[in-house]
Amino acid sequence: MGRMISVEKVYKSFGTLEVLKDINLEVQQGEVLCIIGPSGSGKSTLLRCLNHLEVITSGKIMIEDDLLAEKLDGKNQFKIAHKKISEICTELGMVFQRFNLFPHMTVLQNIIEAPVSVKKLSKAEAVAYAMELLKMVGLEDKKDEYPARLSGGQQQRVAIARALAMKPKIMLFDEPTSALDPELVGEVLEVMKKLARGGMTMVVVTHEMGFAKEVGSRVIFMDKGEISEEGTPEAIFSNPKNERTRAFLQKVL
Amino acid sequence: MDLIISKIPQLLEGAVVTMQLTVVAVVFGMILGLFLALGRLSKNAVVDKICWFYIWIFRGTPLLMQIFFFYYALPLALGKTFSFGAMTAAFIALSLNSGAYLAEIIRAAIQSIDKGQMEASKALGMSYGQAMRRIIVPQSYRRLIPPVGNEVIALLKDSALVSSIGMSELMRTTTQISNATASAVIYLPSAALYLIMTSLFTFVFERLEKKYSVYE
Repeated sequence: MGRMISVEKVYKSFGTLEVLKDINLEVQQGEVLCIIGPSGSGKSTLLRCLNHLEVITSGKIMIEDDLLAEKLDGKNQFKIAHKKISEICTELGMVFQRFNLFPHMTVLQNIIEAPVSVKKLSKAEAVAYAMELLKMVGLEDKKDEYPARLSGGQQQRVAIARALAMKPKIMLFDEPTSALDPELVGEVLEVMKKLARGGMTMVVVTHEMGFAKEVGSRVIFMDKGEISEEGTPEAIFSNPKNERTRAFLQKVL
Repeated sequence: MDLIISKIPQLLEGAVVTMQLTVVAVVFGMILGLFLALGRLSKNAVVDKICWFYIWIFRGTPLLMQIFFFYYALPLALGKTFSFGAMTAAFIALSLNSGAYLAEIIRAAIQSIDKGQMEASKALGMSYGQAMRRIIVPQSYRRLIPPVGNEVIALLKDSALVSSIGMSELMRTTTQISNATASAVIYLPSAALYLIMTSLFTFVFERLEKKYSVYE
């Protein structure tokens, strides 16, 4: 067990709008952290800060032992010395709400693109691993299809395989099932459960309370840019302490 | 009729020059336009402003004036030690001019690509350059084709302006034949040649559009 992510006193503003306030958080290896909360509560922004898609205004984020960002009032505290931000970010895979597959590439090309162009793997190696991943998500037969020909659930499973192809140590999921038709949600959650059982460290922003309950090792409830409650799924779902958590859960459960 | 037939070889020579001008200006214009577009999208404000200024000048002044500038004014300003031939001046003016128009077309196409594509590329560890080269720009091709097709056809016809500096492209050739024979009938086959050339480009661009639509 080791610490994979640490977030200290993180603030994030868009202009005058403060979307994250004093966020402190640690994620241990193998943990599945689920972030829930009403829309606009800052959960997606927090997730996007973890792989530098958003740059924090102040605070500090560490990925394993590497400093991803340390800022005070929007200014860098010091330059990141030993690793480039893009290198640190390859430790994290990201799955987006809207899949964001590359539409001009086939499924297989989508998956091998980054391993070949970023990790400089040989094409043969990349293809071999991609086929393993496609088997894992149950889409081997779709390798030569373009994304537009796949269902939403299939696209999201390809997106998961694409992220895994970089062999990340941490997987970030940004509402991975929110854009899916209800009957397609299950197949994506199945793949995510498989990953969780395999010991992958995961941070999942989700509205799927069932998933959070079943797979989450810890649940965070965010509201108005703050972490207002944190605990085991049982504690949060059956005995929420915070008034706002209770009100939110009443609406969604 | 005999007159027309006897002048066809001359017209064809003019048409070849028109085609050369168009193709050269489009090829260099696309390369220049891509860099200008990337410059306009750059986070570097100075680069953005320089590219904006370039486009402002070349879109905002008459092409004919730009042709005169490179043929007459620039050599004068540089002290008459050198001068462009009409051909070179025409190539330069048309390329630089089409570059400005194509830059805006390319910029619009790149900006129309969903920003999730850049985010996904970055999340996979790609650099800005890699993401542009492998993911964003290739997706913009299909959206580029219809407006670029327009631009190419406009350019082909605008190339007639270089007849003013004595280049014997199709327009000038036609006018000369008309003057020499005291008959306007030669404009008919000349117009037909313009139509054939623009149709050729239309055909090529339709094929390209199909080719890049396979994934949609």
